[in-house]
Amino acid sequence: MQKRSLRQKSEARWGYLFVAPFVIGFAIFMLGPMVFSFIGSFTDYNLTSKMNFIGIANFKRMFVDDQLFWKSLYNTLYFTAFNVPLTTMFSIFLAVILNQKIKGIRFFRTIFFLPSVLSGVAVYVLWMQLLSPSSGMVNTILSWFNINGPAWLFDPNWTKPALIMMKLWSAGGAMLLYIATLQNVPTQLYESAELDGAGIWHKFRHVTLPLITPIIFYDVITSTIGSFQIFQEAYVMTSNGQGGPANSLLFFNLHMWNKAFVGFDMGYAMAMSMTLFVIVMIMTVINLKLAPKWVHYAGGSK
Amino acid sequence: MKKRKIFIALLALVMVFLTACGTQQQSKANSGSSDKVTLDFWTFWGSGDRREVIESIISDYNKSQDKVTVKHSYQPWGDIWTKSLSAITAGNPPDVIVQDIMSVSQRAEAQQSVDISRYLDAGTKKQFYPQLWETTQYQEGTYGLPFNTDTQVIFYNKQIFKEAGLTEADLPTTWAELEAVGRQLDVKKNKTYSRVGFYPLWNLGAEVWALNADNGTSWFNDNEKIKINTKNKVAALQWILDQQKHYGKSTINRLEAEFGSGVSDPFLSGTVAMRAQNLNYYTSLKENASKDFEFGVIQLPEFKSGSGHWSWGGGFTVEVPKGAKHVKESAEFIQYLTSEKVQQKFGAASFDIMANEDANNNLIDGTELDETGQMIYAMAAENMKKTIMTPVPLTAPDHTNLIQEEIDSALLGNKTAKEALRDAQSAVENLVKQNQ
Repeated sequence: MQKRSLRQKSEARWGYLFVAPFVIGFAIFMLGPMVFSFIGSFTDYNLTSKMNFIGIANFKRMFVDDQLFWKSLYNTLYFTAFNVPLTTMFSIFLAVILNQKIKGIRFFRTIFFLPSVLSGVAVYVLWMQLLSPSSGMVNTILSWFNINGPAWLFDPNWTKPALIMMKLWSAGGAMLLYIATLQNVPTQLYESAELDGAGIWHKFRHVTLPLITPIIFYDVITSTIGSFQIFQEAYVMTSNGQGGPANSLLFFNLHMWNKAFVGFDMGYAMAMSMTLFVIVMIMTVINLKLAPKWVHYAGGSK
Repeated sequence: MKKRKIFIALLALVMVFLTACGTQQQSKANSGSSDKVTLDFWTFWGSGDRREVIESIISDYNKSQDKVTVKHSYQPWGDIWTKSLSAITAGNPPDVIVQDIMSVSQRAEAQQSVDISRYLDAGTKKQFYPQLWETTQYQEGTYGLPFNTDTQVIFYNKQIFKEAGLTEADLPTTWAELEAVGRQLDVKKNKTYSRVGFYPLWNLGAEVWALNADNGTSWFNDNEKIKINTKNKVAALQWILDQQKHYGKSTINRLEAEFGSGVSDPFLSGTVAMRAQNLNYYTSLKENASKDFEFGVIQLPEFKSGSGHWSWGGGFTVEVPKGAKHVKESAEFIQYLTSEKVQQKFGAASFDIMANEDANNNLIDGTELDETGQMIYAMAAENMKKTIMTPVPLTAPDHTNLIQEEIDSALLGNKTAKEALRDAQSAVENLVKQNQ
């Protein structure tokens, strides 16, 4: 092995210094808690008085006995399965229509981006009013088309769709990413496609879409992880933060929160968080494995 | 080696910065030094009458003696208990904190709070309503003192009663009478209800009706035996389902979604003629009702004549978290907070029912309140005799979700009352088994 020169050593030292804030922060605030949580998941830890090793009892209880665990997992998977594709498609759709060179386009872009600037709780309260069964705007609009809208947040069959609809509304953040990428698609590709007789759909399907797949890929991964972590919406929009009606909004993290801070069953909550970690990990690995089949990197290499 | 010097300088700077942070923390803890003790007192009373009165009480206390200075720290309602839990775990808790009365023994068991019984005066116990005192007891110890409470009653609109030709003699005392009076007050135009006489779930949980029907036994009895699937509770849920059927789900959903406080309060607007609610709802009426709005308060009716006007109450205790440094001084301050005069002052300002029984009774015929205010405290005194506390069972602290889900499915028409409570019973039995 070649001995490092003095200069290289000094550079390395500088390098370490500059990454130190991140490494220290990561170790203290991410890795430490994760390791602790991993260890804690095999105990009956309750924060203050006990921490006895109980083997895999927490996991056994979770998979075998806890009916709310399965319910919360189902709710979360349902939400993720619809939320991720729908928000992705919707933000691509928005990005494509807002990527026109017409007058005032910035104004429209701003309008569609605005909802993602507004912060959490205020948005949820606003939506609770929009979704109100008789006087809410959503059902008022539906009634113009003679549709008798459901009691969104009161009917367990409609609570999750209502939440997904709310999420669609704030697709502006991802839209921005897509617009930025769309503007990088070389115009000569469109020109040559046109010469070959491609219409709007074909241009989109065979030029635009392949070229933005890296961003779609990124968006799908991050929003899958985000969807699995859904918590606030249910905590704010259901009475007493309980996840009602009929536990239809009891998401994984809400159940975990209840176990940790209502039951003080921190060991169990840690076991739940480890389970979620593994599920998200598997999903991400699947995504990564599938990626080469559909993600197209300009230049031909990854 | 200029770069090296800069590197060391930078490193030194970082160290200085870090240590500076450290010392700052230290000096903060030592401030207010000498031999005077500073107590950090956490409450969630951040605004309005309660904040004003608690700050005035604290300042009275600080002036009344020279050993202790109490510092009020406001913590938002949503954060206070998770924050204190982290603080206890980290070994740096507040000295005194306002806590949920239902979970005192849960915290005592988990060693999150401290037994203060040896610092208490002999007569302390007798000051409180017995059911409130009971909540603070865990294995011979006293883990905090009750501070305030509440109780559930029914508010009725006198004007609407008069218009319907009903007098005081017609005020309902049983569920059947309540239902009958409710029907008389209903107003229906073109198949749409413009006034609802009485709907039990506005604004009371099914669990309160259940314990009223079941002779004051909640989901768990005193020995933590599960008492969900009982004959009377099934009958209570069935009664609620009957009322729901009478008005129809769409009417209920429509009105419920529009309910709010202030101008959109359905009781004030006359959309609802009788409203079951916490007695403290009076403060909202006092603030928002127009001058000529007349209302009265009655107890929750008896399930069957003679079964008892059982009601339910919650409230807060004041306790010392585990790891706090000045337990003796804190216990003294807690005794001060729960003493008669101080409680009376807090009650007069907030219309909370205080844990100190004499304090409430003083307010009934004292000079602080007007006639209506005195009536409220008279009602409190009467209702507290039959008000049940439902402390969290240690065997299943997080059982409410399981029961609520079944009640919801009965209300949605997916299960009968009997099926719902049977399933709730077995779900909670399962939870208890898991926790063993």
